[in-house]
Amino acid sequence: MNLTKNVSLMEQLAASYALGTLRGGARRRFEALARNNAALRTAALLWQSRMSSVAELQPQIAPSPAVWKRIENLVNADKQAAALKAARVQAASVPAVGWWTSLGLWRGATAASALMAVVAVVTGMSAGTRVDQLTAQVTQLSGKLAATPEIQYVAVLADDKSSASMLVTFDPKTNKLVLKRVGDFKEQADKSLQLWALPPGAGPKSLGVLGNDAVIRLSATDRDVREVPTLAISLEPKGGVPVGSGPSGPVLFKGALIKTVP
Amino acid sequence: MLSMNPEKSHSLDIQLITLLDRVALADEVALRELYELSSSKLYGVAVRVVTNREWAEDVLQEAFLNIWRIAGDYKATLSPPMAWMALIVRSRGVDFLRRRNSDRADAVQELDDVISDTVAGNSPNPMDITQASEQAKALHACLSKLDNKQREVVSLAYMRDLSHAELAEQLKLPLGTVKTWIRRGLEQLRGCMSRFA
Repeated sequence: MNLTKNVSLMEQLAASYALGTLRGGARRRFEALARNNAALRTAALLWQSRMSSVAELQPQIAPSPAVWKRIENLVNADKQAAALKAARVQAASVPAVGWWTSLGLWRGATAASALMAVVAVVTGMSAGTRVDQLTAQVTQLSGKLAATPEIQYVAVLADDKSSASMLVTFDPKTNKLVLKRVGDFKEQADKSLQLWALPPGAGPKSLGVLGNDAVIRLSATDRDVREVPTLAISLEPKGGVPVGSGPSGPVLFKGALIKTVP
Repeated sequence: MLSMNPEKSHSLDIQLITLLDRVALADEVALRELYELSSSKLYGVAVRVVTNREWAEDVLQEAFLNIWRIAGDYKATLSPPMAWMALIVRSRGVDFLRRRNSDRADAVQELDDVISDTVAGNSPNPMDITQASEQAKALHACLSKLDNKQREVVSLAYMRDLSHAELAEQLKLPLGTVKTWIRRGLEQLRGCMSRFA
Protein backbone atom coordinates (compact mmCIF):
# COMPACT_ATOMS: atom_id res chain seq x y z
CA MET A 1 0.00 0.00 0.00
CA ASN A 2 1.27 3.41 -0.80
CA LEU A 3 0.56 5.35 2.34
CA THR A 4 1.21 8.75 0.84
CA LYS A 5 -1.51 8.28 -1.79
CA ASN A 6 -4.07 7.67 0.96
CA VAL A 7 -4.51 11.15 2.36
CA SER A 8 -6.97 10.29 5.11
CA LEU A 9 -4.87 7.40 6.40
CA MET A 10 -1.83 9.65 6.32
CA GLU A 11 -3.68 12.25 8.36
CA GLN A 12 -4.97 9.68 10.82
CA LEU A 13 -1.48 8.31 11.43
CA ALA A 14 -0.05 11.80 11.77
CA ALA A 15 -2.71 12.65 14.37
CA SER A 16 -1.99 9.42 16.34
CA TYR A 17 1.70 10.13 16.11
CA ALA A 18 1.19 13.64 17.53
CA LEU A 19 -1.20 12.40 20.20
CA GLY A 20 1.41 9.85 21.28
CA THR A 21 -0.75 6.76 20.95
CA LEU A 22 1.16 5.52 17.90
CA ARG A 23 3.82 3.43 19.61
CA GLY A 24 6.54 0.84 19.11
CA GLY A 25 7.27 -0.46 15.61
CA ALA A 26 4.41 1.49 14.06
CA ARG A 27 5.85 4.72 15.41
CA ARG A 28 9.34 3.92 14.14
CA ARG A 29 8.01 3.05 10.67
CA PHE A 30 6.02 6.29 10.62
CA GLU A 31 9.11 8.31 11.57
CA ALA A 32 11.21 6.62 8.89
CA LEU A 33 8.58 7.39 6.24
CA ALA A 34 8.14 10.97 7.42
CA ARG A 35 11.86 11.68 7.16
CA ASN A 36 11.70 10.87 3.47
CA ASN A 37 8.31 12.28 2.68
CA ALA A 38 7.58 15.97 2.92
CA ALA A 39 3.79 15.62 2.86
CA LEU A 40 3.80 13.15 5.75
CA ARG A 41 6.30 15.24 7.66
CA THR A 42 4.15 18.32 7.17
CA ALA A 43 1.07 16.50 8.42
CA ALA A 44 2.95 15.27 11.50
CA LEU A 45 4.27 18.73 12.34
CA LEU A 46 0.87 20.30 11.83
CA TRP A 47 -0.75 17.79 14.18
CA GLN A 48 2.00 18.19 16.76
CA SER A 49 1.30 21.89 16.77
CA ARG A 50 -2.48 21.38 16.99
CA MET A 51 -2.16 18.87 19.83
CA SER A 52 0.10 21.19 21.78
CA SER A 53 -2.94 23.40 22.21
CA VAL A 54 -4.64 20.67 24.30
CA ALA A 55 -2.30 21.86 27.04
CA GLU A 56 -3.42 25.45 26.48
CA LEU A 57 -7.04 24.54 27.13
CA GLN A 58 -6.56 23.34 30.70
CA PRO A 59 -8.48 25.28 33.35
CA GLN A 60 -6.56 27.90 35.29
CA ILE A 61 -5.71 27.36 38.96
CA ALA A 62 -3.73 29.92 40.96
CA PRO A 63 -0.64 28.36 42.56
CA SER A 64 0.37 29.21 46.12
CA PRO A 65 2.57 32.32 46.42
CA ALA A 66 5.31 30.12 47.93
CA VAL A 67 5.99 28.66 44.49
CA TRP A 68 7.30 31.95 43.10
CA LYS A 69 9.57 32.38 46.15
CA ARG A 70 11.08 28.97 45.50
CA ILE A 71 11.58 29.72 41.80
CA GLU A 72 13.19 33.06 42.64
CA ASN A 73 15.68 31.40 45.00
CA LEU A 74 16.57 28.76 42.43
CA VAL A 75 17.02 31.37 39.71
CA ASN A 76 19.32 33.40 41.96
CA ALA A 77 21.41 30.32 42.71
CA ASP A 78 21.51 29.58 38.99
CA LYS A 79 22.71 33.10 38.19
CA GLN A 80 25.44 32.88 40.81
CA ALA A 81 26.66 29.55 39.51
CA ALA A 82 26.78 30.98 35.97
CA ALA A 83 28.67 34.09 37.15
CA LEU A 84 31.24 32.01 38.99
CA LYS A 85 31.69 29.77 35.98
CA ALA A 86 32.15 32.77 33.68
CA ALA A 87 34.67 34.27 36.12
CA ARG A 88 36.62 31.02 36.05
CA VAL A 89 36.65 30.76 32.29
CA GLN A 90 37.90 34.32 32.11
CA ALA A 91 40.47 33.76 34.83
CA ALA A 92 41.96 30.85 32.91
CA SER A 93 43.54 33.32 30.48
CA VAL A 94 44.77 35.75 33.16
CA PRO A 95 48.35 35.74 34.45
CA ALA A 96 48.93 35.11 38.13
CA VAL A 97 48.57 38.00 40.54
CA GLY A 98 52.29 38.03 41.28
CA TRP A 99 52.77 41.64 40.30
CA TRP A 100 50.14 42.70 42.75
CA THR A 101 51.68 40.87 45.59
CA SER A 102 55.13 42.27 45.00
CA LEU A 103 55.99 44.09 48.14
CA GLY A 104 58.18 46.74 46.58
CA LEU A 105 55.37 48.43 44.72
CA TRP A 106 53.43 49.19 47.84
CA ARG A 107 56.36 50.19 49.98
CA GLY A 108 56.53 53.86 50.58
CA ALA A 109 53.03 54.61 49.44
CA THR A 110 51.19 57.33 51.31
CA ALA A 111 47.68 57.17 52.62
CA ALA A 112 45.11 59.69 51.61
CA SER A 113 45.82 60.24 47.96
CA ALA A 114 46.70 56.60 47.36
CA LEU A 115 43.37 55.56 48.69
CA MET A 116 41.64 58.12 46.52
CA ALA A 117 43.63 56.99 43.51
CA VAL A 118 42.91 53.34 44.04
CA VAL A 119 39.23 54.00 44.55
CA ALA A 120 39.25 56.13 41.41
CA VAL A 121 40.74 53.24 39.46
CA VAL A 122 38.33 50.65 40.63
CA THR A 123 35.29 52.88 40.29
CA GLY A 124 35.93 53.03 36.57
CA MET A 125 36.13 49.31 36.18
CA SER A 126 33.37 47.13 34.88
CA ALA A 127 32.41 43.79 36.34
CA GLY A 128 34.75 40.99 35.47
CA THR A 129 37.76 43.22 34.88
CA ARG A 130 40.79 41.09 34.29
CA VAL A 131 43.67 41.28 36.68
CA ASP A 132 46.07 42.32 33.93
CA GLN A 133 43.84 45.25 32.91
CA LEU A 134 43.66 46.23 36.53
CA THR A 135 47.42 46.00 36.76
CA ALA A 136 47.94 48.27 33.74
CA GLN A 137 45.62 50.88 35.14
CA VAL A 138 47.28 50.86 38.52
CA THR A 139 50.72 51.11 36.94
CA GLN A 140 49.75 54.52 35.59
CA LEU A 141 49.06 55.60 39.12
CA SER A 142 52.19 54.21 40.63
CA GLY A 143 53.65 57.71 40.72
CA LYS A 144 50.87 58.90 42.95
CA LEU A 145 51.06 55.77 45.02
CA ALA A 146 54.77 56.27 45.55
CA ALA A 147 54.07 59.66 47.10
CA THR A 148 51.46 58.41 49.56
CA PRO A 149 53.21 56.78 52.54
CA GLU A 150 50.23 56.30 54.81
CA ILE A 151 48.49 53.34 53.15
CA GLN A 152 49.93 50.69 55.34
CA TYR A 153 48.29 47.53 54.07
CA VAL A 154 46.91 46.36 50.78
CA ALA A 155 45.40 43.06 49.66
CA VAL A 156 43.84 41.78 46.47
CA LEU A 157 41.48 38.94 47.26
CA ALA A 158 40.97 36.52 44.41
CA ASP A 159 38.99 33.34 43.87
CA ASP A 160 40.70 30.00 43.39
CA LYS A 161 41.30 30.83 39.73
CA SER A 162 43.16 34.07 40.51
CA SER A 163 40.35 36.28 39.30
CA ALA A 164 40.44 39.47 41.38
CA SER A 165 37.23 40.01 43.29
CA MET A 166 37.97 42.39 46.14
CA LEU A 167 40.51 45.11 46.71
CA VAL A 168 41.29 45.83 50.37
CA THR A 169 43.25 48.75 51.80
CA PHE A 170 43.83 49.76 55.41
CA ASP A 171 44.23 53.34 56.47
CA PRO A 172 45.54 53.66 60.04
CA LYS A 173 44.71 57.37 60.14
CA THR A 174 40.99 56.73 59.98
CA ASN A 175 41.18 53.17 61.32
CA LYS A 176 39.20 51.95 58.33
CA LEU A 177 39.48 48.92 56.14
CA VAL A 178 38.14 49.86 52.73
CA LEU A 179 36.91 47.06 50.48
CA LYS A 180 36.05 47.54 46.84
CA ARG A 181 34.25 44.89 44.85
CA VAL A 182 35.98 44.46 41.50
CA GLY A 183 34.52 41.17 40.23
CA ASP A 184 30.93 40.49 39.27
CA PHE A 185 30.26 38.25 42.22
CA LYS A 186 26.99 39.02 43.97
CA GLU A 187 25.83 37.09 47.00
CA GLN A 188 22.20 35.92 47.24
CA ALA A 189 19.79 38.08 49.19
CA ASP A 190 19.84 35.65 52.11
CA LYS A 191 23.64 35.49 52.31
CA SER A 192 26.41 37.79 53.49
CA LEU A 193 30.12 37.93 52.81
CA GLN A 194 32.33 38.03 55.89
CA LEU A 195 35.95 39.20 56.02
CA TRP A 196 38.46 37.22 58.08
CA ALA A 197 42.03 37.75 59.22
CA LEU A 198 43.98 34.50 59.15
CA PRO A 199 46.76 35.00 61.71
CA PRO A 200 49.45 32.30 61.82
CA GLY A 201 48.95 29.75 64.59
CA ALA A 202 45.47 31.00 65.52
CA GLY A 203 41.92 30.62 64.29
CA PRO A 204 40.33 33.03 61.79
CA LYS A 205 39.33 36.34 63.31
CA SER A 206 36.31 38.17 61.93
CA LEU A 207 36.97 41.68 60.64
CA GLY A 208 33.34 42.29 59.81
CA VAL A 209 30.38 41.50 57.60
CA LEU A 210 30.19 43.15 54.18
CA GLY A 211 27.18 45.14 53.05
CA ASN A 212 25.95 45.13 49.47
CA ASP A 213 27.60 48.39 48.42
CA ALA A 214 30.38 48.46 45.87
CA VAL A 215 32.68 50.13 48.41
CA ILE A 216 32.53 48.88 51.98
CA ARG A 217 34.18 50.49 55.00
CA LEU A 218 34.85 48.43 58.11
CA SER A 219 36.33 49.75 61.34
CA ALA A 220 39.60 48.11 62.29
CA THR A 221 42.69 48.93 64.27
CA ASP A 222 46.31 48.46 63.37
CA ARG A 223 46.33 45.55 65.85
CA ASP A 224 43.71 43.70 63.75
CA VAL A 225 45.88 43.61 60.66
CA ARG A 226 49.40 43.63 62.10
CA GLU A 227 51.26 40.32 61.63
CA VAL A 228 48.34 38.97 59.56
CA PRO A 229 49.69 37.41 56.36
CA THR A 230 46.36 36.53 54.77
CA LEU A 231 42.80 37.81 54.48
CA ALA A 232 39.87 35.69 53.38
CA ILE A 233 36.17 36.16 52.59
CA SER A 234 33.63 33.47 53.32
CA LEU A 235 29.99 33.09 52.29
CA GLU A 236 27.78 33.09 55.36
CA PRO A 237 24.10 33.31 56.31
CA LYS A 238 22.67 36.83 56.16
CA GLY A 239 24.34 38.99 58.82
CA GLY A 240 27.33 36.68 59.26
CA VAL A 241 28.13 34.03 61.84
CA PRO A 242 27.55 34.68 65.56
CA VAL A 243 30.30 36.67 67.29
CA GLY A 244 33.09 34.43 68.48
CA SER A 245 32.56 31.58 66.02
CA GLY A 246 34.68 30.86 62.98
CA PRO A 247 33.57 30.82 59.33
CA SER A 248 30.78 28.33 58.59
CA GLY A 249 30.52 28.71 54.82
CA PRO A 250 33.01 28.22 51.98
CA VAL A 251 35.96 30.59 51.52
CA LEU A 252 35.31 32.34 48.21
CA PHE A 253 38.21 34.80 48.04
CA LYS A 254 41.60 34.93 49.61
CA GLY A 255 44.77 36.95 49.29
CA ALA A 256 48.02 38.03 50.94
CA LEU A 257 47.92 41.17 53.06
CA ILE A 258 50.93 43.26 52.20
CA LYS A 259 52.44 45.83 54.50
CA THR A 260 53.42 48.83 52.40
CA VAL A 261 55.52 50.55 55.06
CA PRO A 262 58.45 48.54 56.35
CA MET B 1 -14.29 33.69 13.28
CA LEU B 2 -14.10 31.74 16.49
CA SER B 3 -12.48 34.20 18.72
CA MET B 4 -14.57 36.59 20.72
CA ASN B 5 -11.65 38.94 20.68
CA PRO B 6 -8.79 37.96 18.37
CA GLU B 7 -6.99 41.23 19.06
CA LYS B 8 -6.74 40.39 22.73
CA SER B 9 -5.23 36.92 22.41
CA HIS B 10 -2.87 38.21 19.74
CA SER B 11 -1.58 40.93 22.04
CA LEU B 12 -1.12 38.43 24.89
CA ASP B 13 1.00 36.29 22.55
CA ILE B 14 3.13 39.30 21.69
CA GLN B 15 3.51 40.16 25.36
CA LEU B 16 4.59 36.61 26.20
CA ILE B 17 7.03 36.45 23.29
CA THR B 18 8.62 39.77 24.31
CA LEU B 19 9.00 38.50 27.86
CA LEU B 20 10.53 35.20 26.69
CA ASP B 21 13.05 37.19 24.65
CA ARG B 22 14.01 39.14 27.75
CA VAL B 23 14.18 36.02 29.92
CA ALA B 24 16.59 34.58 27.34
CA LEU B 25 18.90 37.48 28.27
CA ALA B 26 18.72 36.45 31.95
CA ASP B 27 16.26 39.24 32.87
CA GLU B 28 14.73 38.21 36.21
CA VAL B 29 12.15 40.99 36.17
CA ALA B 30 10.85 39.62 32.88
CA LEU B 31 10.68 36.14 34.41
CA ARG B 32 8.55 37.52 37.21
CA GLU B 33 6.17 39.19 34.73
CA LEU B 34 6.02 36.02 32.66
CA TYR B 35 5.15 34.08 35.80
CA GLU B 36 2.40 36.50 36.72
CA LEU B 37 0.84 36.23 33.27
CA SER B 38 1.07 32.47 32.87
CA SER B 39 1.36 30.70 36.22
CA SER B 40 -2.37 30.04 36.73
CA LYS B 41 -2.69 28.49 33.30
CA LEU B 42 0.49 26.49 33.70
CA TYR B 43 -0.35 25.34 37.21
CA GLY B 44 -3.67 24.12 35.77
CA VAL B 45 -1.67 22.06 33.26
CA ALA B 46 0.53 20.64 36.03
CA VAL B 47 -2.48 19.69 38.18
CA ARG B 48 -4.11 17.99 35.21
CA VAL B 49 -0.99 15.89 34.55
CA VAL B 50 -0.06 14.88 38.09
CA THR B 51 -3.53 15.32 39.76
CA ASN B 52 -2.05 16.31 43.12
CA ARG B 53 -1.68 20.01 43.94
CA GLU B 54 1.45 19.64 45.99
CA TRP B 55 3.20 17.61 43.30
CA ALA B 56 1.95 20.10 40.73
CA GLU B 57 3.72 22.90 42.61
CA ASP B 58 6.99 20.98 42.35
CA VAL B 59 6.36 20.48 38.64
CA LEU B 60 5.56 24.16 38.09
CA GLN B 61 8.72 25.17 39.92
CA GLU B 62 10.86 22.79 37.88
CA ALA B 63 9.22 23.94 34.65
CA PHE B 64 9.90 27.60 35.39
CA LEU B 65 13.54 26.95 36.14
CA ASN B 66 13.59 25.12 32.82
CA ILE B 67 11.97 28.09 31.05
CA TRP B 68 14.54 30.38 32.67
CA ARG B 69 17.35 28.29 31.22
CA ILE B 70 15.99 27.59 27.73
CA ALA B 71 13.86 30.66 26.95
CA GLY B 72 16.24 31.38 24.05
CA ASP B 73 15.02 28.20 22.33
CA TYR B 74 11.52 29.61 21.95
CA LYS B 75 12.57 31.67 18.93
CA ALA B 76 13.24 28.50 16.94
CA THR B 77 9.67 27.23 17.32
CA LEU B 78 6.49 28.32 15.59
CA SER B 79 4.27 27.38 18.53
CA PRO B 80 2.12 29.89 20.36
CA PRO B 81 4.17 30.92 23.43
CA MET B 82 1.65 29.57 25.96
CA ALA B 83 1.57 26.21 24.16
CA TRP B 84 5.38 26.09 24.23
CA MET B 85 5.48 26.74 27.97
CA ALA B 86 2.56 24.38 28.63
CA LEU B 87 4.48 21.59 26.86
CA ILE B 88 7.45 22.18 29.14
CA VAL B 89 5.14 21.85 32.15
CA ARG B 90 3.59 18.70 30.66
CA SER B 91 7.01 17.11 30.07
CA ARG B 92 8.15 17.92 33.60
CA GLY B 93 4.84 16.51 34.89
CA VAL B 94 5.15 13.29 32.91
CA ASP B 95 8.76 12.91 34.13
CA PHE B 96 7.59 13.51 37.68
CA LEU B 97 4.95 10.78 37.43
CA ARG B 98 7.41 8.30 35.95
CA ARG B 99 9.90 8.95 38.72
CA ARG B 100 7.22 8.71 41.34
CA ASN B 101 5.48 5.66 39.93
CA SER B 102 8.73 3.76 39.82
CA ASP B 103 9.16 4.59 43.52
CA ARG B 104 5.66 3.92 44.73
CA ALA B 105 3.17 1.50 43.23
CA ASP B 106 0.29 2.89 45.29
CA ALA B 107 0.69 6.33 43.71
CA VAL B 108 -0.55 4.87 40.42
CA GLN B 109 -3.58 3.53 42.21
CA GLU B 110 -4.51 6.93 43.64
CA LEU B 111 -4.17 8.42 40.21
CA ASP B 112 -6.24 5.72 38.55
CA ASP B 113 -9.12 6.42 40.89
CA VAL B 114 -9.11 10.12 40.12
CA ILE B 115 -9.09 9.51 36.39
CA SER B 116 -11.70 6.73 36.41
CA ASP B 117 -14.02 9.04 38.29
CA THR B 118 -13.60 11.74 35.67
CA VAL B 119 -14.44 9.43 32.78
CA ALA B 120 -17.16 7.44 34.55
CA GLY B 121 -18.96 10.59 35.65
CA ASN B 122 -19.33 11.58 32.01
CA SER B 123 -19.00 15.16 33.12
CA PRO B 124 -17.05 17.26 30.69
CA ASN B 125 -13.67 18.20 32.07
CA PRO B 126 -13.87 21.95 31.78
CA MET B 127 -11.80 23.55 29.05
CA ASP B 128 -10.64 27.08 29.39
CA ILE B 129 -10.11 29.40 26.43
CA THR B 130 -9.10 32.54 28.27
CA GLN B 131 -5.46 33.15 27.34
CA ALA B 132 -5.73 30.57 24.55
CA SER B 133 -4.10 31.19 21.18
CA GLU B 134 -6.13 31.21 17.95
CA GLN B 135 -4.98 27.68 17.29
CA ALA B 136 -6.17 26.58 20.72
CA LYS B 137 -9.55 28.18 20.15
CA ALA B 138 -9.95 26.23 16.92
CA LEU B 139 -9.02 23.01 18.71
CA HIS B 140 -11.44 23.88 21.48
CA ALA B 141 -14.27 24.29 18.98
CA CYS B 142 -13.50 20.87 17.49
CA LEU B 143 -12.98 19.07 20.81
CA SER B 144 -16.31 20.47 22.00
CA LYS B 145 -18.05 18.45 19.27
CA LEU B 146 -16.72 15.13 20.61
CA ASP B 147 -18.50 12.93 23.15
CA ASN B 148 -17.32 13.72 26.66
CA LYS B 149 -15.67 10.31 26.94
CA GLN B 150 -13.87 10.61 23.65
CA ARG B 151 -12.68 14.07 24.48
CA GLU B 152 -11.50 13.02 27.90
CA VAL B 153 -9.56 10.02 26.59
CA VAL B 154 -7.88 12.04 23.83
CA SER B 155 -7.03 14.82 26.24
CA LEU B 156 -5.64 12.40 28.86
CA ALA B 157 -3.64 10.44 26.32
CA TYR B 158 -1.94 13.66 25.30
CA MET B 159 -1.53 15.36 28.66
CA ARG B 160 -0.16 12.30 30.41
CA ASP B 161 1.57 10.72 27.40
CA LEU B 162 -0.26 7.42 27.77
CA SER B 163 -0.47 4.48 25.37
CA HIS B 164 -3.75 2.70 24.57
CA ALA B 165 -2.82 -0.05 27.02
CA GLU B 166 -1.92 2.38 29.81
CA LEU B 167 -5.17 4.28 29.29
CA ALA B 168 -7.18 1.04 29.36
CA GLU B 169 -5.47 -0.02 32.56
CA GLN B 170 -5.89 3.32 34.28
CA LEU B 171 -9.48 3.83 33.18
CA LYS B 172 -10.41 0.18 33.83
CA LEU B 173 -11.83 -0.09 30.34
CA PRO B 174 -11.34 -2.80 27.72
CA LEU B 175 -8.42 -2.06 25.41
CA GLY B 176 -10.72 -2.24 22.36
CA THR B 177 -13.01 0.43 23.80
CA VAL B 178 -10.13 2.81 24.38
CA LYS B 179 -8.78 2.23 20.88
CA THR B 180 -12.20 2.87 19.37
CA TRP B 181 -12.79 6.07 21.33
CA ILE B 182 -9.40 7.41 20.38
CA ARG B 183 -9.75 6.48 16.72
CA ARG B 184 -13.20 8.02 16.43
CA GLY B 185 -12.16 11.05 18.40
CA LEU B 186 -9.20 11.63 16.10
CA GLU B 187 -11.29 11.07 12.96
CA GLN B 188 -13.75 13.72 14.06
CA LEU B 189 -11.02 16.11 15.06
CA ARG B 190 -9.37 15.61 11.69
CA GLY B 191 -12.54 16.53 9.80
CA CYS B 192 -13.21 19.50 12.04
CA MET B 193 -9.67 20.88 12.14
CA SER B 194 -9.31 20.73 8.36
CA ARG B 195 -11.74 23.65 8.22
CA PHE B 196 -9.24 25.85 10.02
CA ALA B 197 -6.19 27.18 8.27
